[in-house]
Amino acid sequence: MKDVQDPARRKFLTTTGAAAGAAVSALALPRGAEASGPAPLPNKWDATADVLVVGTGFAGLAAAIEARNASAEVLVIDKMPVPGGNSAINGGDFCAAGTPMQKSLGIDDSPELMAKDMLRAGLYLNYPELARTVAEQSAAALEWAQKIGAQFDRVNYQGGHSVKRAHQLVERSGSGLVSKQLEKARALGAKIEFRTKVSRLVVTKDGRIAGVETRRNYRFPNDSSGEVAFIKARRGVVLASGGFSQNIALRQMFDPRLTADFTSTNHPGATGEATVAACMAGALSTQMDWIQLGPWTSPDEKGFGYIPQFVERVVGYGVMVDPATGKRFFKETGNRKERADAIILLGHPAVILADTTNTMNMVDPGQLKGALDNGSLRKFDTLEDLAKAYDMPVGPFVEQVKRWNGFVEKKKDPELDCMIFKDAAPNVKPPYYAARLWPRVHFTMGGLAINKDARVVGLDLKPMAGLYAAGEAAGGIHGAVRLGGCSMPACVIFGRIAGQNAGKEKPWG
Amino acid sequence: MTARIRSQPGPARVALSLALAALVFAVAAPAQNAGRAKLSSAAKATDCKACHAGKTPLPQQHPNIAGKSLGDCAACHAPGTDRALRGRMPLFHAHLLAGLTCASCHADAKKPKLVEADRCMGCHDPEKVAAKTAAMKPTNPHNSRHYGVKADCNLCHHQHEKSENYCAQCHNNFDFKVP
Repeated sequence: MKDVQDPARRKFLTTTGAAAGAAVSALALPRGAEASGPAPLPNKWDATADVLVVGTGFAGLAAAIEARNASAEVLVIDKMPVPGGNSAINGGDFCAAGTPMQKSLGIDDSPELMAKDMLRAGLYLNYPELARTVAEQSAAALEWAQKIGAQFDRVNYQGGHSVKRAHQLVERSGSGLVSKQLEKARALGAKIEFRTKVSRLVVTKDGRIAGVETRRNYRFPNDSSGEVAFIKARRGVVLASGGFSQNIALRQMFDPRLTADFTSTNHPGATGEATVAACMAGALSTQMDWIQLGPWTSPDEKGFGYIPQFVERVVGYGVMVDPATGKRFFKETGNRKERADAIILLGHPAVILADTTNTMNMVDPGQLKGALDNGSLRKFDTLEDLAKAYDMPVGPFVEQVKRWNGFVEKKKDPELDCMIFKDAAPNVKPPYYAARLWPRVHFTMGGLAINKDARVVGLDLKPMAGLYAAGEAAGGIHGAVRLGGCSMPACVIFGRIAGQNAGKEKPWG
Repeated sequence: MTARIRSQPGPARVALSLALAALVFAVAAPAQNAGRAKLSSAAKATDCKACHAGKTPLPQQHPNIAGKSLGDCAACHAPGTDRALRGRMPLFHAHLLAGLTCASCHADAKKPKLVEADRCMGCHDPEKVAAKTAAMKPTNPHNSRHYGVKADCNLCHHQHEKSENYCAQCHNNFDFKVP
């Protein structure tokens, strides 16, 4: 039971005994017509808007704001009782290339380089036009976020990128942007309704998306809670409903290795029902089996936690080792997939450490305190103590740290070709900070196929009338591997595009 | 149970998942109800038997509570002591004892609907609530980095079922005792 950490899943396990048991119960539920296909036009609509947005994360709120700017009447729904989904709990890193902040720090970057990094990490499976759109519009998207009040105060490195380009929110959490987007959307007159969950899309006889069938006053995760309500969307529906990292049955369909053993960094509602509803209405899904594990989570805390913001700040400064040998096993600045695969291959958690100089230079004090307070980050006066605490062979480990410190002085790693930053210092000043690492399911690169206008592509490979997708619900932007910090620009950019286009669609009916 | 969770998916389980994929995935959690009591919207707060099937849930030696209000309870059940009422009864009892009725929160007490947090905040000013708990360790539960001071009260403070510590689903050391 100790692996099962979120209350939603806990409830569902205690109810039925095991995940497989829960699957049986789900099958036994009286589902009626909901089980397949879209919903037909209802006799009566319970609510009407020009643009209906599903989801209150970065993408959904960007869509809502732009649709309001296009003078559309906007209703935003979210099945959860809190705003933002994963956007409100992420680390707040927003990658953008060629920004004034980068220039002031002497970082030489360009949209071309960012697109190249995204495509290389994505194993060139990214839809090139979508990836390039993210890179090209990233600086403008960051500026848009700043204009509505979000504040960014540092530029971080994220594994797999060529340069530092992750602009971080002062809150060290995506909530710093979500809260400003919420304020802006509300000020512009968008209506926002929580605890309303999409069950099916409504399609007209000639195949246009007309609105959605929902359950209002829905109480996650109880599917029989709430009342059925039909919401008409005169101009368009924007699905910004997130990914499905927390839907164990669904994710295992695409990657059978991702059992319940792998917990997730995501909020419990990242279960992807709206994506499935769109597929049942004729939408094409793409690259669903590329599911990302975050290599920087700690088994000593839950969810996303604080440790990712220690790890990602000290890669290229500190050292990651296999505690069985005390030696390094993979380059610390590798991309998420490379690093997560390497840790899983060890078969046990890795250990990462940095000394006081590097930690104090790089890690946000609030995040450091959070990690120390919950016990996931530990402090040691000597490398020997550290080695003993993690059952490492002391000699080889101390030798490894010395060797790494030599690489740091030369700014070159002949062992594993890790990037070493200009301001990296040899790890010699105690106390030493260390954490254990074991990957968690973090992001689903796949989702609904979209074109450059954020229109959802149907099974006939044509854009579906009246349906848009953005954010993690949209697939294909990141290919095999999403680089860290690239979700925020992708969400904002395609959310805005979806809102602009849906807002100016010709109304039906 | 751990062993079962850890087991690799066998053919049967994969087949199940296949069948499942055809459905909108449903989690079969039963609705939590308010114990065995049958709520009566006409009941007075101090008339236990009106809802509790003719039997008072109070201990036998408990003083008669007829005509008492929440403030009177505090004489024995002082907040912060081990006799505090927190967690001993569903929270709506406190609202009733303080003089509210079902309709004070649910506009239509006959067909009660989920209460919006704005309604709670009409009495419990979120800024004041946050100020009251500002010194709590390890952090203020009413002013979060993620949701500010206006998070839905009902995330944690349920009225008709056991309250929960919403923060703890990620923050294992936020060991708040939730009334």
